[in-house]
Amino acid sequence: MIKTVDLEKIFVGRGQTVRAVDGITTHIKQGEVVVVIGPSGSGKSTYLRCLNGLETLTGGHVHVDGIDLANRKTDMNKIRREVGMVFQQFNLFPHKTVLENLVLAQMKVRKRKRIDAEKKARELLEKVGIAEKETNYPSQLSGGQQQRVAIARALAMDPKVMLFDEPTSALDPEMVGEVLEVMKQLAREGMTMVVVTHEMGFAREVADRVLFMDYGKLVEEGTPEHFFIEPQEERAKLFLRQVL
Amino acid sequence: MNTKNWLWWLLTILVLLGIVLGLWVATKRIDYTWRWNRVPQYFFYQDKDVKKTVIDGTVTKIEQKGKTSIITVHNSDNEDNVFIVDTETVNLDVDDYLMEDDTVGAILDWKAGPLVTGLWVTLWISALASIIGLVIGVVTGLCRVSKNLTLRQLSITYIELIRGTPLLVQLFIFYFFLGTVLDIGRLASGIFALAIFAGAYVAEIIRAGIQSIPKGQMEAARSLGMNVPQAMIYIILPQAFKRTLPPLAGQFISLIKDSSLVSVIAITDLTKSGREVITSTFAVFEIWFVVAFLYLILTFSLSQVVAWVERRLAVSD
Ligand SMILES: Nc1ncnc2c1ncn2[C@@H]1O[C@H](COP(=O)(O)OP(=O)(O)OP(=O)(O)O)[C@@H](O)[C@H]1O
Ligand SMILES: [Mg+2]
Repeated sequence: MIKTVDLEKIFVGRGQTVRAVDGITTHIKQGEVVVVIGPSGSGKSTYLRCLNGLETLTGGHVHVDGIDLANRKTDMNKIRREVGMVFQQFNLFPHKTVLENLVLAQMKVRKRKRIDAEKKARELLEKVGIAEKETNYPSQLSGGQQQRVAIARALAMDPKVMLFDEPTSALDPEMVGEVLEVMKQLAREGMTMVVVTHEMGFAREVADRVLFMDYGKLVEEGTPEHFFIEPQEERAKLFLRQVL
Repeated sequence: MNTKNWLWWLLTILVLLGIVLGLWVATKRIDYTWRWNRVPQYFFYQDKDVKKTVIDGTVTKIEQKGKTSIITVHNSDNEDNVFIVDTETVNLDVDDYLMEDDTVGAILDWKAGPLVTGLWVTLWISALASIIGLVIGVVTGLCRVSKNLTLRQLSITYIELIRGTPLLVQLFIFYFFLGTVLDIGRLASGIFALAIFAGAYVAEIIRAGIQSIPKGQMEAARSLGMNVPQAMIYIILPQAFKRTLPPLAGQFISLIKDSSLVSVIAITDLTKSGREVITSTFAVFEIWFVVAFLYLILTFSLSQVVAWVERRLAVSD
């Protein structure tokens, strides 16, 4: 589904060079749920953003469904509509109602008719449990509700993969559960997912595979059982001791 | 607190009255005679189109049809001349004898005076310049934040040139230089000068507006597969527009006021009309007060419209 080969992203700014992603090779298979964890600043977000071309690569390759994002001829917009993304800060469109948030890209990008787009939007709102809020504006929703709308908005494009960048980090603790529940349901339905999160419970319960990153490098990789119970690398052990 | 407010209200009114009284006393001391009664005719006046006979003749028929009368005069050449005039101006009976050049009647017509036509000119010049200025400003603002270095540099050059020179000088350059070289009239010169002046300020407002939208909005739009123009049109610009509405309104209100400068290139706007009226009435104080008041009506109406639009847009807050 998504393959990265020696993926590299270097930020240069104010005389500093940051190797945010430093040679990562991974293969995310169809239907797999991959959880990415690691200390702050280890390059998890940057890695994720490379997967849908929000960051231009410094080196290496990202293949989405066999298409290379590093190739200049690749139409990024075509790739992005197949790769849904959910952000820490929700990033809903504040000037549009909940329903319009879900309808807009369907019509403009997928060229769906309004009737079809609204039907799809309502189904998804139903699914994430906020059907009654379709005429509200994002500012009138709680954080948890906003994030569920954001997930529904990404799903409305019928993506083949969903990327989540710390989807629960900006939420009040009592709202984390409702968002994780939606994500678990997606995972059960067989959605391919790459999730950056600090929710170790979620990783244990749902992940097929855990990637541990530090200083832009993929340090350790394995099933949750393997990773949480007998990690091999010193840095992974240290990290787990801090978060668990 | 509310109970005490009326005292402050009273104070405000007293202070304002005091100022007006002071001005009135001041004009008394220089022996200025106020002639407010001369002012209304420069808003609207009754035009009298007088109909006269060309050769002698006798009135043979007066036919009244509502407010107009049809008068037939049989002249000495044995022909019938028919006049259509307003009834109230007719002072004739059948068989009256009319000499050459005698008045039969007149057609009365209310016409807009110079203050109204001037106000109208100011209004549409400002409106047109605002629209063109908005287009120029949005395009320049987009260039200003574009990735292309040349576009950025060109837009900065334009903005700095316009903001660094006085509008009056720009008007002269447009009128005397560009007007001559490109062979465009004074009206076009004036409108374009105003539009390009406003455009530079609008561009900066638009740039600030676009940059004030969180980066996540563009990223969310792009990650849904929208291309940059789509993201701009549907996501960024509508939000930026809402945020920039108050400063944009301020800019267009300035434009209405600045448009008074076009009077120096002999466009008969409100200001120039005012000057012309003064040369025939000598009611200097009255006319300038009236002109100021008319500008105030324009700017106040615009700010009311904008406030209304703002309230409409505030539903998503
Ligand atoms: N646009 C940018 N310009 C310059 N440096 C950046 C940029 N984005 C990220 N970085 C740097 O790249 C490194 C990796 O950042 P990244 O956001 O990917 O980390 P992260 O693992 O997601 O951290 P966190 O858990 O805090 O979200 C950091 O050192 C960060 O400062
Ligand atoms: Mg991050």
